[in-house]
Amino acid sequence: MSSAAIRLERVSKRFDGRVVAVDDVSLEIAAGEFFALLGPSGCGKTTTLRMIAGFERPDSGRIHVGGADITDVAVHRRDMGMVFQSYALFPHRTVTENVAFGLRMRELPKPEIARRVEAALAQVALTGLEARRPAQLSGGQQQRVALARALVIEPRVLLCDEPLGALDRKLRQQMQFELKELQRRLGVTLVFVTHDQEEALAMSDRIAVMDRGRIEQVGTPAEIYGRPRTRFVADFIGEINFLESEPGAAPRALRPERVRLAPPGEGRVAGAIETANFLGGSTLYRVRGDDGRLLLARETHAGDRAPRDPGQRVGLVWSDEDAVTLER
Amino acid sequence: MRDLPRRPLRAAPDLRHHRKVIASRPTPVAWLIAPAALLFVLFFVLPFAVMATMSFFSHNPVSNPNAVLTFRHYQRFIDDSAGIFHEALLSTLRIGLITTAIALAIGYPLAHWMARMQSRLGHALLLMAVIAPMLTGIVVRTFAWMTLLQDKGVVNTLLISWGFTEKPLPLMYNEFGTVVALVHIYVPFMVLTLTGVIGRIDERLEQAARSLGASRARTFLEVTLPLSVPGILAGSLLVFALSISAYVTPSLMGGTSVLTLPMLIAQQVGTSFNPGFAGALGVILLTVSLAIVVAYNRILARLSGQGNLA
Ligand SMILES: Nc1ncnc2c1ncn2[C@@H]1O[C@H](COP(=O)(O)OP(=O)(O)OP(=O)(O)O)[C@@H](O)[C@H]1O
Ligand SMILES: [Mg+2]
Repeated sequence: MSSAAIRLERVSKRFDGRVVAVDDVSLEIAAGEFFALLGPSGCGKTTTLRMIAGFERPDSGRIHVGGADITDVAVHRRDMGMVFQSYALFPHRTVTENVAFGLRMRELPKPEIARRVEAALAQVALTGLEARRPAQLSGGQQQRVALARALVIEPRVLLCDEPLGALDRKLRQQMQFELKELQRRLGVTLVFVTHDQEEALAMSDRIAVMDRGRIEQVGTPAEIYGRPRTRFVADFIGEINFLESEPGAAPRALRPERVRLAPPGEGRVAGAIETANFLGGSTLYRVRGDDGRLLLARETHAGDRAPRDPGQRVGLVWSDEDAVTLER
Repeated sequence: MRDLPRRPLRAAPDLRHHRKVIASRPTPVAWLIAPAALLFVLFFVLPFAVMATMSFFSHNPVSNPNAVLTFRHYQRFIDDSAGIFHEALLSTLRIGLITTAIALAIGYPLAHWMARMQSRLGHALLLMAVIAPMLTGIVVRTFAWMTLLQDKGVVNTLLISWGFTEKPLPLMYNEFGTVVALVHIYVPFMVLTLTGVIGRIDERLEQAARSLGASRARTFLEVTLPLSVPGILAGSLLVFALSISAYVTPSLMGGTSVLTLPMLIAQQVGTSFNPGFAGALGVILLTVSLAIVVAYNRILARLSGQGNLA
């Protein structure tokens, strides 16, 4: 499967001349990359994806795929696979017919269509469900059909708009692994829209964090998590403490796992545990300092030690190099 | 009914539960057919019982104690010694089918346009335009067509003055005029029924088809059209039922050269005082049109690739 790089050049889109959905976005996505667009609801992720797919035309800016400018190319000539959040399976067609659709549009010979559909269904572990209608499938199965339908045309680019959004947590995690594995095996460029930061961190090669139509930061999951550039990114990804700094100085932030709980009297802040969120492998404590401020600290459990009780007095310890300096 | 398209499409984590919910709730299409179903009950089922009973009696069993069971009304129709009964049935079905086909051809694009209109104002205006004619009675609208299509009517006057023709064209007092007026009167039913169904088709299905390589035309044929089959079916049934049972319009627009079964039935009841034969005609019309409806249903279901539609 040949994959293609994507380049967005200063792309903007407004709706009804008022709402700026996407504001001067530039992006470089490498061929074969698993790339996530991450941000809160309404930040313009779907609109960005739909412009790449060709469902929306940018008001300004250009979009290149595989080195060619495709801004004005019609949707059905773009050779991209798309997986919708709702899956958008054809309800009047069987699983086989759904998956065969794109191949039929390409007017391939019947035996080849049959062969490729069979292979695609095997790839997503759907063999045996060929004759079912979408309404007779579970959510996870529908999701796989949507994936198979998009992949069977061997697209240069696969676009996914919150493809796992409708699945329950367990299935979702399983599909995250499967999708990631499938993408690596096929080497297809995958642009993945999600508002779930854990999902983006777990799956992507790189992430673009968006806010109000703009790109806040692009980087690997480790960079985005460990070196957030702005207050927005730091706050949106995982938990974080914003540290007090002198007026005029750049804001600084600190991840809870960099804060160590020590006996009272040690460390920079003394206080009492207000709440303890037991997370299984670790516990997230909210500590109220004696000076009134709130700080988060994460403690990993060694052995079978029970989490600390709320009300317990502690000291908070951290070192300055663990704090991140933010641009704004 | 279970295979009708539903919107929005959602995942069904628990399939059995999902099924049950759907089964217990009437689909939107069922509601759209409701007016037609009501028409059927009020104007067909209820009178049908009376009519069918009458058709097997020699005389009115309520008023005449000598009434006996007989098949002679049906025999009379089959023999057709006057040579008008078979022609009346054919004419009725012809008018019904042509009216339905034209109403569908005009109504579908209009309904599609309305269902996909982004602007609310535009949608409201179109809806008004479709509904407004329904506010004037059938008689009024039929008379309006008469002033247009008569030999000395607006259309012929214009055609003659522009030199397209020397003698006025026979635009009414025939089946042509009847169909024109019937289409005008019943097309709103088609549009309203179709708009509901097309509006419920998830646009993302069309987008999915496009992204898989289907052109606009292909997307329409492969996705939009098959998914609007329930609407086509409901709208066609409604218009067909209304136009084969129409009485006023064929009488006024058809003049003496058009004789439909409803006209014949009215004649049998009103002038010939033969309710038994009128009943037999009614039963025959209903049976034949039901056969047509079933065949139509089968064909549409086959074309759209969906199983049992209704
Ligand atoms: N067709 C449209 N007409 C008008 N406004 C739109 C349209 N589509 C999107 N918008 C607006 O553009 C902005 C961005 O929408 P978009 O769907 O791209 O957000 P998103 O990041 O995908 O959000 P979500 O996570 O909720 O799906 C929103 O303010 C939205 O209301
Ligand atoms: Mg979205």
